[in-house]
Amino acid sequence: MAEHTVAAFDEDLGQISRLISDMGDLAGSMVGGATKALLNSDNALAQRVVSDDAIMDARQRELDDRAITLIAKRQPMANDLRAVVGSIRMAGDLERIGDLAKNIAKRVGTVGLSVTPRDLSHSIDAMAQLVLIQVQGVVEEYAAADAAALAKLRNDDERIDVKYTSVFRELLTYMMEDPRNITACTHLLFCAKNLERIGDHVTNIAENAYYVLTGQQLPANRPKQDETAMATSA
Amino acid sequence: MLSPDMTIAAEAVTKAKIEVKNLNFYYGQSKALKDITLSLPERSVTAFIGPSGCGKSTLLRVFNRIYELYPKQTAEGQVLLDGQNILDRSQDLNLLRTKIGMVFQKPTPFPMSIYENIAFGVRLYEKISKAEMDGRVEQALKRAALWTEVKDKLNASGLSLSGGQQQRLCIARTVAVKPEVILLDEPASALDPLSTAKIEELIDELQADYTIVIVTHNMQQAARVSKQTAFMYLGELVEFDKTEKIFTSPREKRTQDYITGRFG
Repeated sequence: MAEHTVAAFDEDLGQISRLISDMGDLAGSMVGGATKALLNSDNALAQRVVSDDAIMDARQRELDDRAITLIAKRQPMANDLRAVVGSIRMAGDLERIGDLAKNIAKRVGTVGLSVTPRDLSHSIDAMAQLVLIQVQGVVEEYAAADAAALAKLRNDDERIDVKYTSVFRELLTYMMEDPRNITACTHLLFCAKNLERIGDHVTNIAENAYYVLTGQQLPANRPKQDETAMATSA
Repeated sequence: MLSPDMTIAAEAVTKAKIEVKNLNFYYGQSKALKDITLSLPERSVTAFIGPSGCGKSTLLRVFNRIYELYPKQTAEGQVLLDGQNILDRSQDLNLLRTKIGMVFQKPTPFPMSIYENIAFGVRLYEKISKAEMDGRVEQALKRAALWTEVKDKLNASGLSLSGGQQQRLCIARTVAVKPEVILLDEPASALDPLSTAKIEELIDELQADYTIVIVTHNMQQAARVSKQTAFMYLGELVEFDKTEKIFTSPREKRTQDYITGRFG
């Protein structure tokens, strides 16, 4: 991409894209940390994820300020305009991913106290791995300006949805087997739901990033595989 | 933003007012316009943008053949106004200029009263009574959103008005002879933001009745006032599309580089 005649414009845009990249890295580390803390009943790690969320919020506010200032000062057009508006939206999704990771981290203590979670959380582990790959992937592909990879990544959310459905059924089975599992399983169910929603935010980010890069919207319909609404009688 | 369906519907009802076909233009030996072909829809605002010297003002000047006032300027190709080639020698130039009005960058009121600034042009083409003329002047000033500001001083000199008012007086003068097309060459570049806003508001209203072509260096202005935008560079038409498309995701890299400030 050619440089702007006004060099400070490039600097302003660069700061915004660095913030997105930072927030993406932080989101990945929060999701990874929260899951690890959950699976290992690691309260110290969970605490760190909770406090990281404050950093995430601060980054988002900084990005908003910079984006608004850039629009006011430079009146960006075309790809610049898409990048600024897209960044505001992506930052919103990344901030929500941080919130959801924090929510998982806050449940670590409760789940750990009631039962040994390891036995119950094999499938959550697999789901979390998928989610983490998606979170890390979306920021990398945006930085690499790879629109085709973003379109594929967006469709890959389907695999998280499928996983979520199976986690849901599995946890339901544990609860029916032994009512003493209900407290832990309910919390785990919320954790799984959080992971599934993190996947949705990744999808939004991929869609925005695709639009920023190409100027085209991805088609509205994406295959949906979350069948938990129908699975209550499993 | 228009839905795809509405866009198609809108295109179906608007017909082309001006069609430019393979237009070349020369200042002496130097070629200023290179094989321009485009179609300007009726009752709609079209913006021409591009760096200085790209040919946008030249193209505008072809539309009313004002270039013929200068020696060694020649146009080849066709410019069809309602299907009639205006470059054809047999075209009545006076009649053409009643159909196609023009407003320039610097306000150019005549050194006469506000009333006469408007009546003067009308008298060139029509013989009408004093009462009719009064009505015509009032109507034109209202059309140009200037009436309330000048109605009590119609005999004051046009030059006594502010720059923004003078420009609206020029628009009123243009509108008074009932043109079909209005050409605006940087109409607001010498005006303060409030006067600019009034001119833009006016352009928005006038497009209900007139086909408007505006040349502007102000990208935001082009984005605000026009329905379609043409980007020109070095005498070529690089891209011509719906304004929202040009300013959000242009097809051509040269267009994108220009409108985002990455040129040269």
